[in-house]
Parts: sequence; C-alpha cells; structure tokens
Amino acid sequence: MTLAVVGVSHHTAPVEARERFAFGNAEAIRALGGLREEAGLHEAVLISTCNRTELYFYPAADPAALEAGAAVLRNKAEGVEGSADRYLYRKQGLDSVRHLYCVSAGLDSMVLGEAEIQGQVKVAYELATRVPVKPSMAGPVLHRLFQTALSVGGRVRSETTIGQGAASVATVAVELAGKIFGSLESRRALILGAGANAELVAEALTRHGMRGILVANRTHERAVDMAERLEGAAIPYDDLPSRLEEVDILVTSTAAPHAVLSLEAVRGALPQGRGRPLLIIDLAIPRDVEPAVGSEPNVFLYNVDDLREIVDDTLDRRKDVLPVAERIIENEVEAFRRWYAGRQVVPLIRSLRGRWDGMRDQELQWLWQRLGHLSPDDREMVERFSERLLGKLLHEPTVRLREGAVNGRVADFVEAVRYLHDLDPAGLDLAQDEDEDPADPAEPEPESLTESDET
Amino acid sequence: MIHYVALLLYISALTLWVRSLLSGGRGKLAAFAFGIAAAGVFAHAAALARFTLLHGELPLVGLAPSLSTLALVIGAGLLATIGLGEVRRVGIVLIPLVILMEGLAVALGVQPAEGVLDFQGAWFALHVTLAFAGFGGMAVAFSAAVLYLLQFSTLKAKRLGAAFRFLPPLATLDRLGRIGLVAGLIALTLGLALGWAWTVRFRNSFQPTDPQVIWGMLTWTVFVSALVMRGRGSQHERRGALATVVGFTVVVVSYVVLRLAASTGGFFL
Repeated sequence: MTLAVVGVSHHTAPVEARERFAFGNAEAIRALGGLREEAGLHEAVLISTCNRTELYFYPAADPAALEAGAAVLRNKAEGVEGSADRYLYRKQGLDSVRHLYCVSAGLDSMVLGEAEIQGQVKVAYELATRVPVKPSMAGPVLHRLFQTALSVGGRVRSETTIGQGAASVATVAVELAGKIFGSLESRRALILGAGANAELVAEALTRHGMRGILVANRTHERAVDMAERLEGAAIPYDDLPSRLEEVDILVTSTAAPHAVLSLEAVRGALPQGRGRPLLIIDLAIPRDVEPAVGSEPNVFLYNVDDLREIVDDTLDRRKDVLPVAERIIENEVEAFRRWYAGRQVVPLIRSLRGRWDGMRDQELQWLWQRLGHLSPDDREMVERFSERLLGKLLHEPTVRLREGAVNGRVADFVEAVRYLHDLDPAGLDLAQDEDEDPADPAEPEPESLTESDET
Repeated sequence: MIHYVALLLYISALTLWVRSLLSGGRGKLAAFAFGIAAAGVFAHAAALARFTLLHGELPLVGLAPSLSTLALVIGAGLLATIGLGEVRRVGIVLIPLVILMEGLAVALGVQPAEGVLDFQGAWFALHVTLAFAGFGGMAVAFSAAVLYLLQFSTLKAKRLGAAFRFLPPLATLDRLGRIGLVAGLIALTLGLALGWAWTVRFRNSFQPTDPQVIWGMLTWTVFVSALVMRGRGSQHERRGALATVVGFTVVVVSYVVLRLAASTGGFFL
C-alpha cells in the first residue's frame, strides 16, 4: 500500500518546536498546491493543530516520495532549534491508516479521547478539497481514508465511553456549572484573581453562554484587562462578600498566602443562608476558600485537588476502554485494506466491461438492421434487457475478482481473465492508480462516502 | 389483556432507564425508554377506554379502576415532558409509581364496583379527574424532587459518576418540581371544590370527618406547605425538594392508613 504520513506531534516535539511546524489554512492550501507538480504526490492532506502537524500523501511508492513529503514539513520549520528531522515520524501503508484512525478517535491526543481533533481532521480534509488543482488533492484514496477516519472517530466515541466526562479543569468547572444551573445564560459568575487558570475557566463559561462575568483582583487594572477580554465588568476586590448573594459561580485564583474567603465571611454575607446553589471553584494554592465553607447548605466547593481528581478519574476511565477502541480501529483498518486491495482489479474490471459492452453494442446494431419495425419503446426494452443480462453475467466474476485481490491472488486472476477474454494487457497494469472505482454491473450504485458518514 | 401489555411496556421502559442510569445516560437508551413508556401510556389508555365502552362508565369508582386511572394520569404527566430533553428522565421515578399502581389494579381486577349509581355524572367525573390530575402533578413534583436530592448529594460528595451524568441539572429539576406543584395545586383545589359542591348537591350533606375529605384536605395542605417551603421564586430549592418528598410520602401513607380504617369501604379511592 503506497500511502504514507509524515508528521510531528506532542509525542515527538515540545511546543516551541511544534509551533514552528504549524500551518495556517492559507499556508496549507499553498503547500498542498505544489505537491503534485513538484514532488509527484497525487493526493495529499495536511492536518495542522496545536498538538500536531501531519501530511498524509499518496502515492509514496519509494523513499524519494517519502522524502518529498518530509521536505514539506522540514521547509516549514525553518528556524527550529537543531535539525527539524529529529522531530519527524514517518509511517507507511496500513500503519499510516491506523495512525489517522487513532488520531481521529482521539487516541493519539494529548488528552485521551478529546473530541476537538475530529473536527480538525474534517477541516484538514476540506482544505485539501479547496486546493485549486484538478483532480482534487483529496483524491479517491485519501477521500476514502479521511471519510472512514471520521466515521471511525464517531464509532469509537459512540460505542465506548472514551469521550465521556470532563478531562480538564476548565471543562470540569463547566460540567459542574451545567449540572447545577442548566443553562448558564442567565447566571452570574465572579472571578477572584486575574490568573491564567481562572481566565481559562472564565473563557470556558463564556463559551457556554455566560455573559457579564465580574472580575476582581488586588491590582484593579489587571481585573479591568481581564474583564475587557471576557466582555465582563471589573469590580473592587473588597466587594467580594457583598457580591456573594448575587453570583451563582465564584472562581478564585489569587496568590494570597492565606484563605481570602472564610466561613465567617460567608455567613456574614449571607445571614439568611444560601437558598440557591452557589458553586465555588477554588483554583488557588494555598487555597483561597476555607474548606468549612463547603459544608454550608447549597454551597458546592471544589478545590484544585478535587478537580484534578475528577480529571484523573475521567482519564483512567478512558484508558479502561482503550482495548475496545483499538479493536474497532483494527476492524476498520482491515476494512480499508480490503477496499484498497479491491482497487487493484479496477483496470481489469473496467477493461472486461468495456469489451463486453462493445460486443453488446455490435449485436444490438445487427439486431436493429433486422428488426427495423420495432417501436422506440420496444427498442428501449430490448436495450434494457441486454444491459440487465450483461450485468448479471458480469456480477459474479466482478465479485470474485475483488475477493481474489483482497486475498492476494490478483496476479493469477488477471492473467486468467485476460487470456480467456483476450483483453489488451496494456491497460491492465496492477500498479496503476485509478480515479474511479467501476461499480459492480449487477449491483445498484454504491453510496458515495460523503460527510454524512461522520457521526 | 391490554393492561398486561401496558404493564409489560412500563417494566421494559424502567429496565432501559436503569440501564441508561448505569451507563451515565450514554447513547439513546433513555430516549428509547421514554418511547417505550409512551407506548405503555397509550396501551394503558386503550385499556381504560375499553373498560368505559364495555361497562358504560368511567373507571373512576372502585379501588382497582381508580388506581389504574390515577396511574394513567401520572403516565400522562410523564408524556407532558416529551419536548424537555433530559427532564424526561424523571420517568425513572415516575414509572415505578405507575407500575406499582397499575400492578395493584391488575392484581385486584379492573372491574366496575357494584352499587355505584350514586357516583355518576359530569360533576363527579370532573371532580375525580381534577383530583387525579392534582395527584399526578404531585407525583411529577415528587419525582423531580427525588432526582434533585440525588443530584444534590452527588455534587456535595463530589462523586461525579454515572448518576451525576444521567441526572438532569438541579435548576431544571427544581423548575419541574415547581411546575408540578403549582399545576397540581390548581387542579386539586378545583377538584376539591367540585367534590364539596357535588356532596352538598347530591347527598345534601358534608361530613368533615369523612376519610375522603380528611385525605383531600391533607393533600391540599401538603401542596401548600411544599410551595411555601420553597420560598418565593425558588429561594430554597433543596428545602422545597425535601418538603415535596416528605409531603408526598405523608399523602401516600395517610391514604393507606385511611383506606384501611375507612368505613365507606370500596368507595374511597
């Protein structure tokens, strides 16, 4: 199988190296555009995310082709410390198929099972279809590879629990908020401390519909800056207790050496107790909120250890289902192998069909000369009859040829069929790449692999 | 026969809901469970419609027919959540109630009570239907409250497992509980008023010591208490949920006690 991938990922390169390899959308389209002419790569798709840059290409029949693929990434990474080559990995044949399936299913991600990568794989495929060359850089082999990869990603996520649970502190916070408040649109959050972690949580809340986030910080200017980024409002740091009644979520992340929110302060701010739930996410070390606050009615207090424990638990549970996910992927890799092997007999099937179609036309001409009295409807009926008969006659040989190819007996079959039907050997090169896969003449047209395959 | 089909469908739905709970609400099991439960409600309705056609009276009198009708009303309450996504998962609490009542009705035999000519007519039918609707509203509120307390305890204990993922958000459950209580209280109030009017109109008497009257007033008081405990605008969600669960339990237990002690025998619901 002359299919390959060359790439760099979080497994092989630190972030400062990975960012050198990253392609923007326009850059990716430009890079793909020259590959056919310059490197003889007929098909290519480039995935570029913050954790990986990978070039899938076809054909990669020899080391030179593989080197041409690697050069695309190497050229992009000019300026990377040391040799760019030391970060690159290369996979060929079924290994490259397996790799993409793992990537799409989130098995190769930094956070096991994360779902974002599937969308990024889809975007990469779509970018390849937008490269202004004919035929498309997302040709039949990579089209099939990427559509099945998206489908495999969907299968793994729907048939296992690999995508379940929150796998980062920010997503845990959002999940908790969602399970307490439902929609976040009408809820209020207060961020205490303008640290990066708190901002990540605040951004995640904003992405889930929360508006008007309040920010308080000892240095008020930093609070103002963060509030502007979040389209919220900055409030004085000392307002915290008096604001407790009106907010639903409190995220704390100050650098204070002691707790900034004590049980006494909470009880003082809420003398009647808290009737509605209050979610407190304490991201600070040392903790900003006294643990006793969590025992107050309707107060849900989670500190950074609680959140990490939830994340670790999620990741452990995801690891537990890895064998199931890998089994799904192996089945799909085998399905791809069969499809790919079946392509080898495409020229033969096409030639066979062409020969018999020619004979059918000749015989129909002979018939029309002798049955000139037939009405157009009758002629059409006879034509359809001949088509159907030919389809049925060729159905079984077509199926058997494909099976033979899948089972590695393609050379024997080609020779036998060529001899029996006196076919021109020139058009029957097994290594030849075909853009079209002729349908089985007796079967309905196969469903095209469109984006609807993605789940 | 149709009652058995309905029961079977209810039990199947409950099994699916439990499986969905164990898997953390993954996949379409919960939606499928709702579909099966809905089929059960339709079969149940068909069984009671057949009863009405066969006997020429509504299944509102006598313990077994009344229980079956009440179960149907609760099932209909579940159907009312059809467009509310995760809220439909209250079925995991509602359906066992339905199974219990319908199972009991089937065990007793859903047959018309003898000597019930007194209990006929539109007034009576409306009175019982509204009272049942009130109880149905309370059952929905009870289910929401049970799930609220479960979700609350998982969040407090920081056990974000399968139950956490299966259960709807606290705010959603609180809203459903409030709607169930308010709608139920309105229906029950109207039902009680009609019952009083019916008693005065057709029996020329109103006995405050009648177990039915005691139970009706107790249920009404429980409704009002649960709403008062919640505070205005759901100020005290958890307290309201606790009050609903306790209130519903009081209503059911008091019914059993009164039913056993009732001198009116089979005519008390």
